Amino acid sequence: MSILYDEGQRAIASESRRVLDARMDKARLLALLEQTGKYDQPFWDTVVEQGWTGIGIAEDHGGLGLGLIELGLVAQACGAATSGAPFLTSGYGVASALQGGSNADAAALWLPKLAAGEATAAIAFAEGSAPLPLVAATPFIDGKLSGTKNGVAGGLTADVALVWASVDGQPVLVLAELSGATRSAVDSFDNSRLYADLAFAGTPAVVIAQGPVAHALAMDVMARVAVIAAHEQVGGAEALMLTARDYALTRRAFGQPIGAFQSVKHRIAELYGLVEIARANCIHAAALEGVCGISGPGFVTAAAAARISATEAYDTAARDCVQVHGGIGVTWEAGLHLHMRRARSLAIEAGNLFFWEDVLVNELQGQAA
Amino acid sequence: MSDLETYRSTARAWLESVAPTFGRDARVGLSVEDDLALGRRYQRAKFDAGYAGINWPVDVGGQGLTHIEKLAFDTEEMVFGMPGGYFGISLGMPVPILIRFGADKDFMKERVLKALKGEEIWCQLFSEPAGGSDLAGLRTRAEVDGNGWKLNGQKLWTSWAQYCDYGVIVARTDPTVPKHKGLTYYWVDMKAPGVDVRPIKLAGGDSHVNEVFFDDVRLEDSQRMSPVGGGFAVAMTTLMIERYIATDSGGFGPHIDEFVDLARHTDLNGKPAIEDGRIRSTIARNYAMRSGLESITTRAMLMMRAGMEPGAEGSLNKLVAVRSRQKLSELALDLMGNSGFAFDAHASVKTDWAASWINAPTGRIAGGADEMLLNTIAERILGLPQDHRPDKGVPFNAIPA
Repeated sequence: MSILYDEGQRAIASESRRVLDARMDKARLLALLEQTGKYDQPFWDTVVEQGWTGIGIAEDHGGLGLGLIELGLVAQACGAATSGAPFLTSGYGVASALQGGSNADAAALWLPKLAAGEATAAIAFAEGSAPLPLVAATPFIDGKLSGTKNGVAGGLTADVALVWASVDGQPVLVLAELSGATRSAVDSFDNSRLYADLAFAGTPAVVIAQGPVAHALAMDVMARVAVIAAHEQVGGAEALMLTARDYALTRRAFGQPIGAFQSVKHRIAELYGLVEIARANCIHAAALEGVCGISGPGFVTAAAAARISATEAYDTAARDCVQVHGGIGVTWEAGLHLHMRRARSLAIEAGNLFFWEDVLVNELQGQAA
Repeated sequence: MSDLETYRSTARAWLESVAPTFGRDARVGLSVEDDLALGRRYQRAKFDAGYAGINWPVDVGGQGLTHIEKLAFDTEEMVFGMPGGYFGISLGMPVPILIRFGADKDFMKERVLKALKGEEIWCQLFSEPAGGSDLAGLRTRAEVDGNGWKLNGQKLWTSWAQYCDYGVIVARTDPTVPKHKGLTYYWVDMKAPGVDVRPIKLAGGDSHVNEVFFDDVRLEDSQRMSPVGGGFAVAMTTLMIERYIATDSGGFGPHIDEFVDLARHTDLNGKPAIEDGRIRSTIARNYAMRSGLESITTRAMLMMRAGMEPGAEGSLNKLVAVRSRQKLSELALDLMGNSGFAFDAHASVKTDWAASWINAPTGRIAGGADEMLLNTIAERILGLPQDHRPDKGVPFNAIPA
C-alpha cells in the first residue's frame, strides 16, 4: 500500500523539521563524539517536550495513538539533524512489544512512562554479530536473566531493556530494569548512541511473550524499528544530497560552479534517485502497519525493502557528499563525518543488510512456494 | 468498488477474453508481417470495445475519459503480451500532436480514426545521425518551394517507419539563427515520392528501427504544424504529452519473480542458487529498488486521482529500472552457465533472459539516454547548472562541426 500524506502528517513533518533546525547545534554534536556516555540533552528534551515519545503509544496508555507514518516523519527530521540520542526509536520498539505482548502489568507500568518521556528503553536482541540469533545465549530462569548482550544502543543509560532470551531452548522476550545489570560503555565511533555491553547476573525480568509468538513479536519489533530507522536514514541521506547540491552550486573551479561538471552533477542526481526510492519504500512500509497486524508477511517484506534501500541511500550519500566537497569534506569542523558515522551506526543497529536481505529473500521464497 | 476499480476489472475481463486470439501464446512463431497483421486486428478490436483513444476527445473518436483510465488499461494490458507495440508511438505522440496542431480538421479527423482502428500508423521523425540527445542539432532541411516546402536530409532510429503511412518531422528552415530557433514541424506522407525507408538490423537481430532519406520531398504549407521557426516548442510538447506512461519496474524486461524462480531451480555448488549469499543479495537489492519504483508509481496515480501534479521522482523509472534489468539479465545468463547459451532472436524480452540482455542497451538509449535523464534530474529537479554548451546562442551555420 502507498499513501499520500494528509494535512496533519505534512504538518508533523514540517514542524519537526523546523524545531530541530532551530535547536540543533553542530558544535555540540561534534563535542559529544569525543565523550563516552554522553548524549545531547537539548535534543532529548525537545523530543519529550514535543510529545514525540508518545506518537506510537495508544491513548489509553498516555500516548498520542498515532503510528509509523507520523513517527517516521519525525524520524526523518531527526535523521536530517543527526539526532543526539537513540531513545526515540528504541523506546518505540519496546513500546510496540509491550502493546503487542501479553503482559498487561508491564504495559500498564511502562507505557505511560515511555509515552511521557519519563523513562527510556533499549532493545537488546543482538548477540555477537547476529542481530537476532535463532536461539539466544541469554538464559531466563525463574524470572532471572543471565548472560551478556553486546553493543546495545542506549544501553548505557536506559531505564529498561527488552531482551531476546531463551528458556529451556524456547525463545522468550523479557523486560528487565537495567539497574539490575552491569553496563560497560563502548567507546565508539558514534558515542551519542550510548552503546553498552550489558551483563546480566540473576537480573530480575518479566515475560512479555514466550514460545513461537515471542519470535513473531521480536521480528515485528525488528521490522517496526527498521521502518523508523529507514526514515531516519532517508532524512540523513536527503540532507547530505542537498548539502552536496548546495556546495556544488557555490564552489567554483576551472571558471564555473563544480555542479556544472557532469561527474559531479550526475553523482548528485544518482543520490536523488536513491533517496526517492528509499522514501517511497518507507511510505509504503509505514502505511502497511495495522493493515497486516503483527508480523504480517507483507509488512516484514516492505520493512526489509525500506531498510535495504535506505541503508544504500544513506551510505552512498555519506560517501558521495564528502567526495563532492573535496578536502573540506574530510575536516572535523565541516562535520560531514557526523552523517558518515551515523550512516554506519544506523546501518548496524536496526539489523544489518545481511540480516534484512535474508529476511526479504526468505519472505519471497515463502510467497513463491 | 470505486469507479476506477470497476473500469479496471471490466478491462481485465475483456483482455482475458481476447488474449487467446491476440496474446503472447498466439504470437509465438509468427513472422513480423503476420504479427503486424494480428496487431492491426487487435487494435481494431480495441477500437470496437472502446479501449482505443481512451483519454482522447469523443469528437475525434476517443472515449473522453482521463489519463487515469488510460494508465489503468495499459497497466492491465501489459501482462498479456498483446501485439500493440506497432501503435505505441503512433498513438502516443504523432497523432495527439496532429489532433492539436493539424491545420485541416477534416483531414485530421479522418487520419485519427484510421490510426485508432489500426489501419494507418504514424512515426516520429526526430533523431538524425548528427542529432539524437542534441535534438536541436538536426540537419534535415525544409526550404521554401513556391507555396510549399521542399524536404531534404536523413532521419535515423525511426521506429516502425517501414510500416508507416505518415510521420511527423522536425526540419531546419533557417540555419542562420541559433539552433533551437530555426526549426519547423510538419507532417509528411511516408509514401510520397522521394521518401526512402531502410530498416536497420539491431544487435538483437530485429529491425524495428529505420533510417529514412528525404530527397526533394514536396510538402504543402498545410502540412506545417508549427509557426515557421517554432518547431522545437511543438517537439517538446510531443515529449511532454505523457510523462506518466504505463511502466513496469522490471525495466521492460523480466519481472523479479522470474529471477527468483530461476534461482530456485538452478543449482549452484550443489544447492539451489537461491541459497547462495551472492544471489540472495542481488535478489534483495533488486526487489527493494523495484518495489520503491512501484511505490513511486502508485503514489503518482494517487496524486493524479486527487487532481495533483505527480512528483518529479517519476522520472527515475526508466533510468533505474532498465539499468537493473541489464545487470540482472547478465547475472541470469551467468547463473545458467553452459545451459544458457541458446538464443532465440524473437523471444520475448519479458520472459527470456538472453533476449532481455541483448536488447537492454536500447532501453538505456531510446527515449532519453541515461546521461540525459541524469542531466534532467540534476538541472530541472535539483537546480544544478546546465552543462557548458559552446553552441549556445551561436547561429546554427556558425557552429564548428
